[in-house]
Amino acid sequence: MEKLQITLNINGKDQALLVQPNDTLLEVLRDELDLTGSKESCSEGICGSCTIQMDGKPVRSCLTLAMEAQGTKIKTVEGLANGDELSNLQQSFIDHGAVQCGICTPGMLMSADALLSETLNPDDTTIRQALSGNICRCTGYSKIVEAVAHAGKPEKSCPDCQTKE
Amino acid sequence: MSDYNIIGKRMPRVDSRAKVMGKVRYSADIKLHGMLVGKIKRSPYAHARILSIDTSKAENLPGVKAVVTGKDTEGVKWGVFGYTRDQQFIQTDKARYIGDEVAGVAAVDEDTALKALDLIQVEYEQLPAVFEPMDAMASDSELIHEDFPNNINIHVNIDTGEVDENFKKAHYIREDTFTAPEESYFQAEPYAVVARFDEDECLEVWCPNGGPHMKSKPLSNSFKLPLHKVKIKKIAIGGAFGGRSEICPADYICALLAKKTSAPVKIIFTREENTIATRQGHAMITTHKTGVDKEGRVLARDTTCYMDGGAYSSTGPIATTVPFLSMEQAYRMESVRYNGYRVYTNKPIRGMIRVHGRGFACGLDTQLDMIAEHLGIDPVEMRLRNSRQPGEYTNTKSLVSSCAMDETIHKAVEKSGFKEKWGKLPPFHGIGIGTNSVQTGFPMGIRGGSQSFIKFNEDGEATVMTGVVDNGQGNDNMVVQIAAQELGLLPEDIHLVSADTETTSSDPGSYSQVSTFVGGQAVKNAASNCKKKLFDVAAKVLKVEPDTLKAENRLIFVKDDPEKSIPIKKVVRISLLNFNSVNAEGGYWPKVDMKREWVSNPYGQMCEAFSFGTTIVEVKVDPDTGEVEVLEVTASQDVGKALNPLVLEGQFEGSIAMGGQGGMLTEYHEWHEGRCVNPTMLDYKLPLACDMPKINNIIVESIEPKGPYGAKEAGMSIAMSAAQGYSAAVSNAIGVHMDSFPLTPDKILTAIKNKKQQDTAK
Repeated sequence: MEKLQITLNINGKDQALLVQPNDTLLEVLRDELDLTGSKESCSEGICGSCTIQMDGKPVRSCLTLAMEAQGTKIKTVEGLANGDELSNLQQSFIDHGAVQCGICTPGMLMSADALLSETLNPDDTTIRQALSGNICRCTGYSKIVEAVAHAGKPEKSCPDCQTKE
Repeated sequence: MSDYNIIGKRMPRVDSRAKVMGKVRYSADIKLHGMLVGKIKRSPYAHARILSIDTSKAENLPGVKAVVTGKDTEGVKWGVFGYTRDQQFIQTDKARYIGDEVAGVAAVDEDTALKALDLIQVEYEQLPAVFEPMDAMASDSELIHEDFPNNINIHVNIDTGEVDENFKKAHYIREDTFTAPEESYFQAEPYAVVARFDEDECLEVWCPNGGPHMKSKPLSNSFKLPLHKVKIKKIAIGGAFGGRSEICPADYICALLAKKTSAPVKIIFTREENTIATRQGHAMITTHKTGVDKEGRVLARDTTCYMDGGAYSSTGPIATTVPFLSMEQAYRMESVRYNGYRVYTNKPIRGMIRVHGRGFACGLDTQLDMIAEHLGIDPVEMRLRNSRQPGEYTNTKSLVSSCAMDETIHKAVEKSGFKEKWGKLPPFHGIGIGTNSVQTGFPMGIRGGSQSFIKFNEDGEATVMTGVVDNGQGNDNMVVQIAAQELGLLPEDIHLVSADTETTSSDPGSYSQVSTFVGGQAVKNAASNCKKKLFDVAAKVLKVEPDTLKAENRLIFVKDDPEKSIPIKKVVRISLLNFNSVNAEGGYWPKVDMKREWVSNPYGQMCEAFSFGTTIVEVKVDPDTGEVEVLEVTASQDVGKALNPLVLEGQFEGSIAMGGQGGMLTEYHEWHEGRCVNPTMLDYKLPLACDMPKINNIIVESIEPKGPYGAKEAGMSIAMSAAQGYSAAVSNAIGVHMDSFPLTPDKILTAIKNKKQQDTAK
């Protein structure tokens, strides 16, 4: 198949790429750009491990063609931290023990990050609904939900919130 | 005050920073120069003789670098035990399930590799196939493996004697049969393997594993390479749950393709392949016959279980035994007889899974509830009358040293309000309890022990080497925590080298719940030996006896006079100036009965410790739809000692999701003539964030005398008891003791309807 020249804006940087029309965004991220943080787990848009953001909205990169992503601002898990400085959400995932095997983590973070950018103080039900497109086989979700709820908003009663003194 | 500044603390995991940044590499993320894409050709038939394979068209396709079939193999058969060697990694004579490996290709890209698979022409002669264990045993058509009559792969017989006599003495006897179909792991990471031969002709392999040494041995056998030439490399692993314990034919095929092409090859499984061509949980048909005295104490039990083992042995003898072991550990029985049959069928291969024998375990607890109801005893009292006590022996002669089973029951009962709720909840609202026990390790012969090496660097930091593998549960952190505690360092001072067959010693692996108990203990012993060397040097400098010293926060100080101290870094440097490097080794070998054998001698000390768990579940059932809403789950486990409550709670919560919410409500496979019809995440229903109930975690510490800091198995007793608690709660809600699991809406509606008819008839 003939390759086409496209430009994708990924984590704030324009990237010129040669892609096949049927290449998924996930394939391009992982294989061409070595951004392997986004994971392929179910390959059919169910598990959410490949979730990235396009213009701030969570999108499954395994079901999105790279061609379709032109002209949007793409953010992947690699773009969440500011250099070595983690986002509040990332730090909260660490502090609350929300990470086990880690395969679902990047997608989980991208869905949660999108939620938090729209809703300041989501309640338990809202968080669980927002994360229900992301399957985690290890954690039973409790610690992930807690991590999202407490991201950047430490709760005094929570033993795992790092309250800054 | 605790004696420990790191052990027992809610310490965030050392591997989580790289994981939240998307920097961690798993097998599928590996890229090597000149790497090819590998794919596997699988049998489309459940049982078929392979008449011929023509690979010429595939080989001539541009971009194809190699095609391998059974002809390229040494014909070596794999089996976990000498008497279970029944599986070739590429089949030569016949295929035994839909998905059996018949050929492999390596090509420049995935499209080419897939095209090549289609061009491989295999001529088959279809054979009659069997899909259910009862049919398989009765079948008079061609055996699946000719040297296993009646297709019986494994028969485990345990008989402690006096069973028949005790049944005669029993006040009440029940016999009930329980069934559950297969379930799957659905690890988040689909199986992937990368292999290459390096310049020294060593085979290097990256793949998910439950213990790297379990991979290197079969590969060394197959390639006739010495063990030191097979290097299984450390790599992040995306979940195991029992499904990554053994060699996978793909490991061999990938390595064979790498050898033939002299290039690195990567095989990534599709989600469907991960379901059908790794392992699944066994389907089981279990009959428990139980006789009790007037007080409900079990006098005799006779259990027969038929397990659908699929096409090959896998961990057959272990798989056939473990459901029985959990039963005899959790509950006292005056006498017991067990006949476990693992039967070959033309279905995918079954292995160990987190809740191994859900139908067996849930059946057992359901029957206890039925007996309790007959005797007018409540389920809690019924369990307390039969629960395992410390200092007792199991029926197969394992001493149970630490055991706080009763405390887990009492605490869960109190927290959940069981006593206040039992019998008083509104219609279709129920509460149930499950209790179980899991072994901390299996007898594993020469691979039963673990050894660790520690070396200090001149900056006062330490490198810890251990064979312990992290499947995602947090074993890397466990090792770092133990080393830091023991050496008096901070976790960030520890550099971990682990799960790599080239650099780390043999270790039992993570699949028998023994990583902390054996591997962690080896690290503790190595660190303790290393610390002795530091103390000898520090004692001279501080002019005190070594046994007056303590190490903490990078300092060595006099216990009774903490002002008198010296930095560890300085001690290391003084030692080096005196021509002594600071390093040490340490190991741990559990004292199990080496004569115990799964089939030939199933008696003797199984392992050194057992965990005990209780889960109480409260549910509401919609009588119109049969749907179950889980209101609250209370999980309580005797873990010996919680090394890290933060990580431990994660194990409890994950166990409830897999064992209870998924395992008892939605997860099972459906079949059509040997073909799994729901191998993907779209069709197989896994629990989501919105499905999960409120969870109360209760950690009970019995301080196991032989465990590191008192620790033993942690988490799996919750997975097992959660399954039982879920089923008991649903049964309680609808007033029917369910005997077929999982409890899907169709079964629940049928049960409600039948009960209504029976009640009206009365």
